[in-house]
Amino acid sequence: MRLNTLLLNTARWGRAALALGSLVFLAGCDFNFWRMDGHQSTITVDGPVARSQYDVFMVTVWVTIVIFVIVGAVLAYATWKFRAKSEADEHAETPPQSHGNPMVEIGLIAASIFALVIIAVPTLKAIWYTYDVPGGDTREKFDALQKKGEVYEVTATGYQWWFKFEYPTEQINGTGALVTANELVIPAGTPVRINVRTMDVIHSFWVPKLAGKVDMIPNRANHLWLQADKAGYFWGQCAEYCGDSHAVMRFRVVALEKKEFAEWLESQKLAARDVAPKVAATGAKAQFAALRSFKQNEYGFTEKFAAEKPLSSLLETWRAKQLPEKGEDADLIAKGKAAFAAKGCIGCHAVRGHGAMGVTAPDLTHVGSRTTIAGGLLENNREQLHRWIHDPGAVKPGNKMSLAYARNDYYGKPIDGIKLTAEDEAALVAYLESLK
Amino acid sequence: MDLAQSTHLTKEDHAPAAQPKLLWTPTAKTGLIGWLTTVDHKKIGFLYGFFALIFFLVGGVEALLIRTQLMFPNNNVLTAQQYNTMFTMHGTTMIFLAVMPLSAAFFNFIMPLQIGARDVAFPRLNAFSLWTFVAGAIILNIGWFIPGPNHGAPDGGWFGYAPLTSKTYIPKHSIDYWVMGLQLLGVASIAASLNFIVTIINMRAPGMTMMRLPVFTWMTLITAFLLILSFPAITIALVELMMDRNFSTNFFEVSGGGMPILWQHLFWVFGHPEVYILILPAMGIVSEILPTFSRKPLYGYPIVVFSGASIGFLGFAVWSHHMFTTGMGAVATAAFSLLTMCIAVPTGVKMFNWIGTLWNGRLMMRTPMMFALGFVWMFMIGGFSGVMHSAAPADAQQQDSYFVIAHFHYVLIGGSIFALLGGIHYWFPLMFGRKVSEFWGKLSFWVIFIGFNITFFPMHFLGLNGMPRRTFTYDANMGWSTANYIATLGAFLLGIGIFIYFVVMAYTFFKGEKVGKDIWDARTLEWSLPNPPPEYNFRVIPTVHARDAWWYEKHHKEEIAKEQAALAKAEAEHGGIHMPNQSIWPFVASLGLLVVGVGATYFESDWSPGIHAKLGTVLVGGVITFIGIYFWSIEGNAGYHLHLDENGNPIEDKHAKH
Repeated sequence: MRLNTLLLNTARWGRAALALGSLVFLAGCDFNFWRMDGHQSTITVDGPVARSQYDVFMVTVWVTIVIFVIVGAVLAYATWKFRAKSEADEHAETPPQSHGNPMVEIGLIAASIFALVIIAVPTLKAIWYTYDVPGGDTREKFDALQKKGEVYEVTATGYQWWFKFEYPTEQINGTGALVTANELVIPAGTPVRINVRTMDVIHSFWVPKLAGKVDMIPNRANHLWLQADKAGYFWGQCAEYCGDSHAVMRFRVVALEKKEFAEWLESQKLAARDVAPKVAATGAKAQFAALRSFKQNEYGFTEKFAAEKPLSSLLETWRAKQLPEKGEDADLIAKGKAAFAAKGCIGCHAVRGHGAMGVTAPDLTHVGSRTTIAGGLLENNREQLHRWIHDPGAVKPGNKMSLAYARNDYYGKPIDGIKLTAEDEAALVAYLESLK
Repeated sequence: MDLAQSTHLTKEDHAPAAQPKLLWTPTAKTGLIGWLTTVDHKKIGFLYGFFALIFFLVGGVEALLIRTQLMFPNNNVLTAQQYNTMFTMHGTTMIFLAVMPLSAAFFNFIMPLQIGARDVAFPRLNAFSLWTFVAGAIILNIGWFIPGPNHGAPDGGWFGYAPLTSKTYIPKHSIDYWVMGLQLLGVASIAASLNFIVTIINMRAPGMTMMRLPVFTWMTLITAFLLILSFPAITIALVELMMDRNFSTNFFEVSGGGMPILWQHLFWVFGHPEVYILILPAMGIVSEILPTFSRKPLYGYPIVVFSGASIGFLGFAVWSHHMFTTGMGAVATAAFSLLTMCIAVPTGVKMFNWIGTLWNGRLMMRTPMMFALGFVWMFMIGGFSGVMHSAAPADAQQQDSYFVIAHFHYVLIGGSIFALLGGIHYWFPLMFGRKVSEFWGKLSFWVIFIGFNITFFPMHFLGLNGMPRRTFTYDANMGWSTANYIATLGAFLLGIGIFIYFVVMAYTFFKGEKVGKDIWDARTLEWSLPNPPPEYNFRVIPTVHARDAWWYEKHHKEEIAKEQAALAKAEAEHGGIHMPNQSIWPFVASLGLLVVGVGATYFESDWSPGIHAKLGTVLVGGVITFIGIYFWSIEGNAGYHLHLDENGNPIEDKHAKH
């Protein structure tokens, strides 16, 4: 049924040949582009909405391929058959000056309309199917289904350049609904309605393997629905140009089986984890001085989630992230917690239970349990955390955090931006890592 | 005969009324003054083409920079801001400053010749359109030359979606340049379109009924109507955006209750007809090339014309297919989905008729024909991916992905550009009396054709594999690296092909083989002229007897010779060929608009000194424009009469002074 299965074996042979070719191809990348099975493939999909969209696409592909073969054959034949063999032959005789045949025209118009009807019928079906959660197209019906646990609802909000995810049904005493950022965790096998909103410009919510995109437009209450067939780890990305760092406004979706999802919800509802400092503080080591420096524009550091890994192992990576790191330095973490407040991070970020209540930046209450940081751009590890807080503007041009670090305002006047010493950075990294 | 006399002969005024001598009437035919004051549609067409090709090369360089940045994952050639500027200016330049003016060049140069006219209806308005287009192009690109944090070239995307373009998110003046540049281009386009419409309706040679118009002229007419109906929508949107940015109105300001979605509707009500503004002239050119090089009439002429008109009408009914992902609701999505599919029918009809034209013909495989056939193949592929987008659920995955980029480059390069490049080859002998070498012409065609396909075919796979548009970087683990690498190699090959094409054209312009009249044995009236065509075009306004007027003349030589002799005598008795005077005032009016544009965009809107400098400059520019229009009006539509000798050369005329 799928285009790529047909091509898969051919592609494997092709890759053997291209192992050699890649020496010539300095890119050194493998020749898998026509298999179209990347992390954001719209062909190898993992949910009913994306599958329905894929099926409509394949209808259009087959209809147009059939027409292309027929029309192309006639065109190629006519070009070959009626060509003048030489420049002298061009004027050998004047062809009949005919003007056309209305019956042929009408026949071809009818055939085109017929071909379009073949496409139109599944298109209409899929428009309604993909538009709203089946059986939950009004608020009342949806709520009834949600009470039975058959559907789920999340609100996704776009910011320049990250995503906020809010769980309206998961209220935390006194502080409102559960909020996370950049990694959306959903129950697998359950239709999830996603309300899409934006805080600034237009963004677009797109998880290709689960569903087509829907734009996040100011003053519009858009929504979409998606469903993951089974537990898995999925790539998403903003699909509407939204300014400087549009290309690096990414996110992940983690689908969990219902039981694990419920456990995850419980862990997330807890306030931020506290690591008590030891009595005898040893002081932070300037352990980051030795770390490599990153070059300007060196984006993307999620290669560890390599294409060859099966989805389940990525999920394992995610699960491992939920547990506290080994060898935590409690003193360093305590210092980091203090620096987080002293350096003004709390003005924008929230860490529930640690006094940080900012709402304009990602909620960091459980940031240590995410696999990525910086809007799905960097892998969440010590090195990348350091890279991110050391010089956010070099990672994500124009982002708000880099503006807080700036030495000059927009008009070039000097301002007092955030300044971090190597010690501060070490402590903050340790602190953020501890927020499981 | 009767028809001819009433409409086309202007009686020479032997005792001209006393004209104010204050006004200078330029008479230079060459040199800077000659070009700045020309009202000759052929020279204006040439200038349109000249500027369009320069901007085509600029847009091409921007494209190559984009491809170089995307050659490898996490590449470092351009910064994010530079990349965003590149794709914004690449799109804007190619659409407004390359393809549209190149089409306008053909409208200007070829259309009056095809209908047997001596100029367009309003020659000075035509010059105004040209210079206003140049003013708009300058303002659009002026940001490149004004560095600094407050300026720079436009970087909000060619579509300029609100609210990203608001002062809150892009405080730089880059967006102001974009807004004002497009406004002026709109003025130029609307003025030119009105001119073309009046020309086609009123200035057809006797016997040139609407259903005898060459298809290219028909497409000019339809395109001109699309322009005057669609540009007001973007003009409104741009005025609103300008107000938001400069005077704190709230059309798109969310905090003030504005509706960003309004921008999208206004933009695409313009934007979709704009797509047909880009492709219909190309279809017209192909509908001229294919019959000529098949040596038989266009198959199903009425249906080709009618389908062109249907595409024009439907073009206004499908704008929201650019907005399938904006949450319009299932019903609106379904309606626009079905309407979009309907477009495939008239487009398919054209395709069938082009193939029907080839059928039973005797195909002359010359360079213009290669480009025309390349057009048919590439446009077919682009059309099919268009049908895939029309299915809204499939489009939900393809929207804003590289699949869309592949689609519209197949219709805009494989379609518009191929046809325009073929059109240059086709009409080059007529325009300049020289012919491009077949070898070099075909070589450039094949390099362009292969390079184009290597560049854009892999983008279908990239899009289906989830690569979004307008992204300056991507990760190595997404499976996009190879296709991007291949696409970039293809882009360089395409660049080499375009380079060969232009070098060959430049060589031919100066040194090419000189050829006689009508070298392709063509069918339409422009080929009845000597090359390059004389200033007055037709010595005798022809009388049209058939759809392929020139073909008919060639096959009824005696009848036509008799008829033309009679008409020439009648015209000579009436006082010769009436020619319009040259004028500097359209140029002055456009120059004033340039000053207005620069003033309105360069300065800040804050109190001091910003707003004063701004208003002052705008006022100065406004006065210059007013002076231009004022003297343009009072100099009147004066002209002079040409008398020709046996060889068609003008005889010095006593009355040519005033």
